Amino acid sequence: MTRKPIVFVALAVALTLGASALAGSTRATGDPGITPTSILLGGTVPLSGVASAYSAVAVGASAYFKYVNAKGGVGGRQINYKYLDDTYNPAQTVQLTRQLVEQDKVFAIFNTLGTETNLAIRPYLNQLKVPQLFAASGDTSFGADAATYPQTIGFFPSYQAEGWALGQYMRKSHPKAKIAVIAQNDSYGRDLLVGLNRGLGGGVAKVVAAQNYEVTASDVGSQIAKLKSSGADTLAIFATPQFAIQSYVFANKLGWKPFVITNAVSSASNIMLLASEGGQNKTVLGSVSVVFLKDPTDPKWSKDPAIALYRTILARYAKGANAKDVYHVYGMAVAYATVNLLKRLGKNPTRAGLIAAVDSMNITDDPFLLPGIAIKTGPGDHFPLSQMYFQQYAKTGWKQFGSLVSYKG
Amino acid sequence: MRRTATSAGLFAALVVAIAVLPKFLTDFRAQQFAYVAVYLVALIGLNVLTGYTGQMSLGHGAFMAVGGYTTAILMTDHGIKDLWTIPAAAVVAGAAGFLFGLPALRLTGLYLALATFAIAVATPAVIKKFEGFTGGGSGKNLFGVKELTGGIAPVHVLGWKLNFNNWLYYLCWTVALVLYVVAWLLLRGRTGRAFRAVRDSETAALSSGVSLARYKTLAFGVSAAYAGVAGSLFAIATTYVNPDTFPVQLSIFLLVGVVVGGLGSLTGLIAGAIFIEFLPLWAQDISKSPGAPGVVYGVILIGVIFLLPTGAAGLLRRVASLFRGR
Amino acid sequence: MTNFLQQVVSGLASGGIYGALALALVLIHRATGVINFAQGEMATFSTYILWTLTQNHGWPYWPALAVTLAISFAGGFGVHQLVVRPVERGSVLRVVIVTIGLLLLINGAMTWIWSGEVRSVHSPFPTRTIDMGGVAISIQDLGTIGVSIGVVILLGLFFRFTKVGLALRAAATNPAEARLVGVRVPLLLGVGWGLATMLGAIAGALTAPTVFLDPNMMQAVLIYAFAAAVLGGIDSPVGAVVGGLLLGVGLNLLGTYVNFVGADLRLPAALSVILAVLLFRPAGLFGHRVVKRV
Repeated sequence: MTRKPIVFVALAVALTLGASALAGSTRATGDPGITPTSILLGGTVPLSGVASAYSAVAVGASAYFKYVNAKGGVGGRQINYKYLDDTYNPAQTVQLTRQLVEQDKVFAIFNTLGTETNLAIRPYLNQLKVPQLFAASGDTSFGADAATYPQTIGFFPSYQAEGWALGQYMRKSHPKAKIAVIAQNDSYGRDLLVGLNRGLGGGVAKVVAAQNYEVTASDVGSQIAKLKSSGADTLAIFATPQFAIQSYVFANKLGWKPFVITNAVSSASNIMLLASEGGQNKTVLGSVSVVFLKDPTDPKWSKDPAIALYRTILARYAKGANAKDVYHVYGMAVAYATVNLLKRLGKNPTRAGLIAAVDSMNITDDPFLLPGIAIKTGPGDHFPLSQMYFQQYAKTGWKQFGSLVSYKG
Repeated sequence: MRRTATSAGLFAALVVAIAVLPKFLTDFRAQQFAYVAVYLVALIGLNVLTGYTGQMSLGHGAFMAVGGYTTAILMTDHGIKDLWTIPAAAVVAGAAGFLFGLPALRLTGLYLALATFAIAVATPAVIKKFEGFTGGGSGKNLFGVKELTGGIAPVHVLGWKLNFNNWLYYLCWTVALVLYVVAWLLLRGRTGRAFRAVRDSETAALSSGVSLARYKTLAFGVSAAYAGVAGSLFAIATTYVNPDTFPVQLSIFLLVGVVVGGLGSLTGLIAGAIFIEFLPLWAQDISKSPGAPGVVYGVILIGVIFLLPTGAAGLLRRVASLFRGR
Repeated sequence: MTNFLQQVVSGLASGGIYGALALALVLIHRATGVINFAQGEMATFSTYILWTLTQNHGWPYWPALAVTLAISFAGGFGVHQLVVRPVERGSVLRVVIVTIGLLLLINGAMTWIWSGEVRSVHSPFPTRTIDMGGVAISIQDLGTIGVSIGVVILLGLFFRFTKVGLALRAAATNPAEARLVGVRVPLLLGVGWGLATMLGAIAGALTAPTVFLDPNMMQAVLIYAFAAAVLGGIDSPVGAVVGGLLLGVGLNLLGTYVNFVGADLRLPAALSVILAVLLFRPAGLFGHRVVKRV
C-alpha cells in the first residue's frame, strides 16, 4: 500500500525526462516561424465531432500550399501549414493555439475555423502580437474591431453583409413580401437576421415571424410548421447545411411553397441537390442566395482554368477529397490570398510586416473567387471580402444574376 | 505509525518532484502539466463519489461548468481577483452538488448515470439561455482582464519571477496537492469508512447504522466542490469560458479518467489525468485524416479497459508487489 | 387550432423516430442490463451501409434494406462478442466506458470513411402530403409511426412465442438459472445485441429521409431516445414507442406555446422529463418495478 508512491515518483521522473527530450527548440533569427527555407503557419479546425465537415477548408488550403511549394514556394521558402483538431471546442482551440505559438513557434495563426473559437484566442494573440490571419468566420467583430484587435482579420463577407444584401434584394424585387425567418440560435443566425432587417431598411417588405433552432436539435419540423402558420410568403433560411436541407424538406412536407432566400453557407450546390429530394421538392426552385466563390459543380466553370487547376491540385495533394465540396474551393481562395500576402513581405518576413500588408490588401486576381470580386482592406478596415453576386436556383443549378453588391460591416 | 511516516516521506518526495519538474520542461509543456493538475482535482472529486461511494456520475462536467462560470462572472462582473474566486467556486459547485444529491438519493447504478448524463447535456443550453448573466454563446474572455494574475507580464511570487505557464503550473499543482491531502484525510477516517460501506452494500451499511442520505449527499457535495475548483482553475488556465468549453464530452472523459486511473485509489488518478490531457493530442499525432483521431481515441480507450481491468492503480499495485516480492 | 394540430402531427413524426431508437435501447437493456451509449452511432453506421448500397451501387431499396439489416445483425452480434462480452462480468461502469469507446470509434470511423458531408437516403414511402382540414400530414411520417408500432408488435410476438425470444428473456432475467437449463447465455446475449442493432438500422432508415445522413445524425436523436425509453419504462418496448410519441408531441407544444422554453430549452425540457420520471416513477409508464433482494 505505502510503496505505491515510489513507482509514482519514478513515473514523474520518467515523464520529466521524456518531456524534456521532446522539447527541442529551433532557434532562428528574426520572427518565429521563419527560416531561410520555410514559413510555418498554424491553425485549428474541427477534424472530429459535429462540425467536422468544415475541415475541408483546411484540406483545400493545405493542398494549395503544397502546390505552391512544389513550384518553389514563396521567395524560396516552403509554406508549412500545421492544422490541429480542436473538435470545435474553444477550450481546445486555446490550448492548441498556445501550443502552435509557444511550442511550434508559428509565424501566424491562419484559417482557424469558427466564431467562438476565434473569439477565445483573439486577446491572447493580439497581446502577443501574433497575426490571427483570415479567421474563418463571418462574425462582424473580426472586421469591425480592427482598431482594438489589429492582429485579427476575417476573410469571407460578414454574415451581416450577406443578410443586408438579401434584404436589399427583397426590398427591390419583392417589395410587399412577408418574410418568415428560421435562424440558428447563435451569433451566426443573429447577425444574418440583423443584416436582413438593415437591408430591408423599414420598407414595406418585412420580417413577420422568426424562429430559432439549436445546433443540438434533431429536426426543425416544429419551427417550420409555426412559420407556415404566420402567413408569410417568403422563407429566409439562415442555417447550417443540414438544417437548411431540413427546412426545405419540412416546408414541402407541410405543403408550403414559399419563396426562399438563403445565405452562402447553406446554399452550396450539393446541399441544394439534396434538398430537392431528387426533383420532388419544388420549393428549392427559384431560391435566391448570394455567392462569392466559384462553384465546382457549376457547368459554367467546367472549362475554367482555375477550377481545372483546383481539380488537379486536389487530386494530387489531397487524395480522396471530394472535388464537389465548395469548402475546398474556399480553402484554396484563402490560401491564394495568403501566398499573395507572403510574397509582398520580401526577403525577411516579419509579423509586423505581415500586419502592414494585411492593412493594405488589394487582390483582384484570386482565381477561385468570382470574376470582379476583389480582396480589399485598409487601415481599420478588416473586411477583405465585401462583394458578392446574387444567384437563383433553377433546375440546372445556381444561376448568377445582377451586378456586384458590396457592403462593409 | 511507520506506514504513515513512509507515506509522508514519499509524499514529500512527490512534492519535490513536482516542484522541480518545470526546470526540465519547455515552457509550453508546463502549461499542459498544469491542465493535468486541473483534471486531477476533478478526478479526485469524482473518485470520492464513484470509486469510494459507488455512485456513477456522467455529469461532472456540469459541476466544472458551475465552478468555471463562478470564477468568470466574479472576475469580469464583480472585480474579484482570480485566486479568491477559487474557494467561491468550491462553495457554489458544492452547494449545487449537495442539492442534486438529494433527489439522486433515489437513484442507483445506470439510472443515476442517465440522470447525471441528462444534467451534463442540459447545462450548455441552460448557460446559453441566461445570456445577461453568463455572456451567452460568446462567453467570457479573461485574458488581459486585470483580475487575472497571469498574462503577458511575469508574476512575482515570494521573490520568484514566473511566466504565465509556470505560474499556472505552480498554482494548479499547489491546489491539487492540497486537495489531494484533504481527500486522503477525509477518506482514511470515519467518513471514508462510511462511504465504502455505502458502496459495498447499501442495505448492510444501513443496518450498521450508516445514514445513507447523509453520506450520499455529502459525497455528492464534496465531489462537486472538487469539480468546482477544477472548473475554476480550468477557466483561469484557459482564460475563456463559453457553453462549448464544458461539453458533454468533458463529463464523459472525466469518468473515463477515473476508470483509467483506478476506482477507489488516489495515486492512480494522476495517470487518469495525464490520459485525459494528452490522449487527444497523441491521437491526432497518429493521423490527421478527418475522423481518425476519434478512431484512435476509441481504440485506445477500449484497449485500456481490456488490459488494465483495475486501472493504472491496479497496475501500480502489481508492479509494487513485484518489488516487494524481491 | 390548425396550428395546434399541425404541431401535434409534427411531434408525432419526430416522436416516431425517438421511439424507434428507444426500442433498440430497451432491447439491449433487457438482454444485457446495460445502456448502450453507442446505439445512435451504430444506427448511423447501418444507415451508411444502406446509403452505400442504394446510392453507390444502385441497388433497389428493399433488397438493400434486407442486406443492411443482415449486416447490422451480424455487426451487433460481433460487437457484443468481441468487446462487450469480455467486460460484462465486471462492473456496469466498465461496460458503459466500453460503449463510450465504441461511440467515439464508430463516429470517427464514419467521418473517416464517408467524410462529414450531408447525404440523402430515400424514403420507402412517397413524399406526398395529405391535407386534412388545413393540417398537412405526410405519408412518410405515417409510415414512420406505422413501422415503429409494427416493430413493437413483432417484438412482443417474438418474446412471447419464439424459442429464442423466451430464452432471451430467461437469460436476461436470470443468467445463472438459464445456464442450468441449457441456455447458451453469451451467444444469446449476442443475439440480443444483434437484434437491437437491427432495430437501430430501422430507426436510422426512418430518420435519414427527414433529418439527413451525416456521421452525427443520431446524436441528438439518441438523447431524446434516452428520455423516451425512461419515460416509457426502460424495460418496455411498448413504453419506448409511446414514450417517444408523447415526448415528440410534448416538446413541440412546449416549444410552441411556452415562450420561455422556445427552441433553446427543448433539450433541457426533455432531460427534465428523464429526471422527473426517474424520481417519481422510476419504472416509467409501462415498466415493471424491480424489487431488489438482499
